[in-house]
Amino acid sequence: MTTISGDFGMPGREAIGRRTSLALLASGILAGGAGSAKAAASGTMTVAVHVSLPPAWLDPSEMPALITTYMLVYALHDALVKPMREGNPAPSLAESYTMSPDGLSYEFVLRKGLTFHNGDPVTSDDVKFTFERYRGVSQKLLRDAVASVETPDERRTVFRLKEPWPDFMTFYALSTGANWIVPRKYIEKVGDAGYKKAPIGAGPYKFVSFDPGVELVLEAHETYWRRPPTVKRMVMKVIPDEATRLVALKRGEVDYAYSIRGELAEEAKKTAGLKLEVAPDGATYWMYFPEQWDPASPWSKLKVRQAASMALDYVSINNALNMGASRITSNFIPKHLKYHLPTPPPVFDPAGAARLLAEAGHPGGFDAGVYWCDSSYANLAEAAVNNLAAVGIKAQLRPFERAAFDKGFLDKRYKKGIIQGSSAAFGNASTRLAVWAIKDGAYAYGSYPEIDALYPRQLHEIDDGKRMAILHEMQQIIHDRKMFVPLWQLGFLSVAGPRVKESTFGSIEGFVYLGPYEDIRLAG
Amino acid sequence: MKQYILRRLGYSLLSLVLLSLTIFLFIRLTGDPTTLLTEPGASAADIEAVRHRLGLDLPLWKQYAVFVFSLLRGDLGDSFYYQTPVFELYFSRLPNSLTLAIAAMGFSLVLGIPSGILASVRVGRFWDNAGKIFALLGLSVPSFLVGLLMILFFSVYLQWLPSSGTGGISHLLMPAFALGWYFAAAHMRMTRSSMLEVLGSEYVKLARLKGLPESMVIAKHAFKNALIPVLTLAGINLIQMINVAVVVETVFAWPGIGRLLYEGVSFRDFPVVQGIVIMGGAMIVATNLLVDIVYATIDPRIRMEK
Repeated sequence: MTTISGDFGMPGREAIGRRTSLALLASGILAGGAGSAKAAASGTMTVAVHVSLPPAWLDPSEMPALITTYMLVYALHDALVKPMREGNPAPSLAESYTMSPDGLSYEFVLRKGLTFHNGDPVTSDDVKFTFERYRGVSQKLLRDAVASVETPDERRTVFRLKEPWPDFMTFYALSTGANWIVPRKYIEKVGDAGYKKAPIGAGPYKFVSFDPGVELVLEAHETYWRRPPTVKRMVMKVIPDEATRLVALKRGEVDYAYSIRGELAEEAKKTAGLKLEVAPDGATYWMYFPEQWDPASPWSKLKVRQAASMALDYVSINNALNMGASRITSNFIPKHLKYHLPTPPPVFDPAGAARLLAEAGHPGGFDAGVYWCDSSYANLAEAAVNNLAAVGIKAQLRPFERAAFDKGFLDKRYKKGIIQGSSAAFGNASTRLAVWAIKDGAYAYGSYPEIDALYPRQLHEIDDGKRMAILHEMQQIIHDRKMFVPLWQLGFLSVAGPRVKESTFGSIEGFVYLGPYEDIRLAG
Repeated sequence: MKQYILRRLGYSLLSLVLLSLTIFLFIRLTGDPTTLLTEPGASAADIEAVRHRLGLDLPLWKQYAVFVFSLLRGDLGDSFYYQTPVFELYFSRLPNSLTLAIAAMGFSLVLGIPSGILASVRVGRFWDNAGKIFALLGLSVPSFLVGLLMILFFSVYLQWLPSSGTGGISHLLMPAFALGWYFAAAHMRMTRSSMLEVLGSEYVKLARLKGLPESMVIAKHAFKNALIPVLTLAGINLIQMINVAVVVETVFAWPGIGRLLYEGVSFRDFPVVQGIVIMGGAMIVATNLLVDIVYATIDPRIRMEK
């Protein structure tokens, strides 16, 4: 067996070698360890949450394809491996995990002395039960890939696959709830409905009470293996209105407020005692040209797509709309996804854009038709439309409410013009390409044969280096052809109140909420 | 009388059937909820799995049949978003909505009725004009603006009241005012017009001719009769306050049915929207049925009508 750690499913912190990282994590040096920081937890932290919290989010077995779910899961539950500050992913309940050389089996070894909130030990039987009980996102994909789950002893679990699947860890450990361990004995006793009413996990916080859509109260799990939380009580209070969240924060009714944007963020920044924080790994937004495969359309010309890319004043847009918190990128696959290809930042050059348009046979620009977008980010679209118009590419903005927009995109109804796409979906570069850039991809209006030919070559490639090379080649082609013109990777803004010493907001790569919860510190 | 009640009951059931069909179809016109329950860019398989789990892959008539048969068993279905029974959700929010609605109703009646009486006995004079301005503002200033201005003034500047959530009376004051103002204006207008109608009637003229003091004429003879339509309106308004205080409950993070409806609409949570509309509709239909029966009991001419 080959021991693999740290950077398995996503890029990890490269400064620490794989084996070293694993050894350090296992001994608890990097992670803080159970033996460190034993001071009793105290105080209450109240977090104003922007979305409604449903009971289903308390049970990782029903994990939907929504990143927001992890806001609760990170507090109540723990996974064998998960994205952490120390690595992405980092061993968590599992002290080690290994893949067989043939890529057909994965073995996870649990740490010693782990317990659920009710004191029951965490065993390999719970790992197996969790996998078998899982019915959330990508459930079928996982079930179809796994031939059997074996539990040779209380600490070891072995997953045997039907055939090598390099994305097993991406799906099992990083983008589904199948790896967030739930207690078999307790669930068999209380049933699924009972579990949602009083969930028990192995995470840093224990369940106290829940009023669905209103308030969740949690209490520190004092024997949490990684580090006992220092904040005794964590209250997540749903406040749907953004202005009300900020007022509650200013008045000290809450200590943290998620999602404060635009002018309210400016206001928060100016308010003494409040701290505006950025999680840089939000969704990527880009322009997509569905006509690029139609030879009669101007968008079929590379120079026109390049001109569109050069027409955008990325920095000014970012400063004006998101206080400069978003990340400017020229790759539509975000930096935190594994196999991301770093590409040079885009250049704002309106004169160059006009020249390229002239060379492409459109000296005064052209009418690009409709710019389709989700109304939540119509402000970004409006800025893009204005910049395009400045070089002669005229488009009419047509915002739709999110569900209607996504449905139209999925149903391939926006055949002409420009579409403003976005995604915060989990996975890696391969899974992102499968949906957006490959022939028959759910959101792909066309594809390039070279990219289609490369895609299957990496799907079953278990040599990580070779796989990365193929995926990089695909991204390079996409970048060179300007198949997508990224606008930004959204920096998600939230605000900490004066009592918060360390919020941990955005400290885990690819995760835009508070966490790890056990690292949160209040002042005093 | 029995036949009359049965006929009214039939009409009520027909109203509910039409309501169920209307809300079932209209909410589906808003689009597909699956894209809101997944991240943009989720795979087609994941989207399809969600659609199957929610029963949205069934033909429309089958979805409606499932909805109606569940309804007949007293089951409003499971929320797409919360994945719990809508019935449970509805009743968990009902106490909060009732508290807010009763407070707002109390405020609207205390303010609306006296100002309506005052306006009716001082037609065209200062109090009447002041009442008109009050009613115009109450009916035209959006409640979210009233709410936000109140939060700004009483929570941020004066620091007197909490900005949101539930708790003691201090939490209730601002949402009750923001919700109640609109209805106070409506009650004021209704009281005024009802009073004006009664004040012009023969028996009020007779009371005056008998030499009764004006206060007695207004309070005993006119107001008592003018109150009936006001209270009927207040009853219907109370049901509205309970079920559709969407904006106020959202701005003040008040965990009531209105906020649940807002979430239901935001997430295209069909069962939640259907459930709330059906419950609200059932309350209105039941109130109307009760009123019809009471009227028919009092006035035999009504039950004799074909």
